Amino acid sequence: MVAQQDALLAQMRRGTLQYCVLSLLANEERYGFDLVRGLAEVDGMVTSEGTIYPLLSRLRRDGLVETTWQESPTGPPRRYYRLTAAGQAALEGFRLEWRRFRDAVDHFVERTAGS
Amino acid sequence: MKSTADKLVDDYLKRLNRELAGVPQARRIELVQEISEHIAEARAGLEGESEAEIRTLLDRLGDPAEIAAEARARFGVRPRQNNWLDIAALVLLLVGGLILPVIGWFVGVVLLWVSSAWTTGEKLIGTLVVPGGLVLPLGLVVAAASPPLTPILGAALAILLFLAPLLTVAFLAHRMRRGDVAPAV
Repeated sequence: MVAQQDALLAQMRRGTLQYCVLSLLANEERYGFDLVRGLAEVDGMVTSEGTIYPLLSRLRRDGLVETTWQESPTGPPRRYYRLTAAGQAALEGFRLEWRRFRDAVDHFVERTAGS
Repeated sequence: MKSTADKLVDDYLKRLNRELAGVPQARRIELVQEISEHIAEARAGLEGESEAEIRTLLDRLGDPAEIAAEARARFGVRPRQNNWLDIAALVLLLVGGLILPVIGWFVGVVLLWVSSAWTTGEKLIGTLVVPGGLVLPLGLVVAAASPPLTPILGAALAILLFLAPLLTVAFLAHRMRRGDVAPAV
């Protein structure tokens, strides 16, 4: 049972992680390190930081994010990620669906909590 | 001279590059590049450069095999399963020229280059070190039997030429990536 739950959690994380990344980029551009640390700060979102980069690479290939080089005040230039119009649209779509889904699950799971 | 920190980071990136075999080349280069940028940023924020600090940093990044499994999953690359073609490549590189002169070895080289089990550097080594596998040294041994070469020089040359292809193939066999990494769920 516990193993099953672990697998389910891993799958849920895997499926939603890209929207968490898109959300982090919704209002500001971020460079890779900053983005990864932002995700890793929230407990339970990522197990190891490096696994975010394949996702970023995929998002870029799918045209949901794009990158630009910008000067850094301290070191070499940084690769900044930002949402494209398609990324923005994907995020909006997910928000809608996610609220519906979350409410539906809550409807059953939360109603019986503590009873 | 390289510091311990540099060496640890270098080893990590090399392992990552090896583990990423099979991921499309452009993506592979990009991933290694971005993760090395990540490491550079993280190092810039460190107090010192102690071995322990670097190890913690690399631990947080995760096992290269895990990152590679994630990349394969994200790009829909199936984990490698049958590697008998890779083994055929090695056998043909070594003795293909004896079975079917030139062509046997050439087929081995083609198999080597279409395989995703080796990096480009490793493939170059496999191609360039004593082309023809064991054909050239065997040929020379025959030639040396009718001597203009002094016996000692001929023997030394033969041993060297035998060792080079054997060591190269052993090296490639060691570096060969097997398809036993399942993609992360």
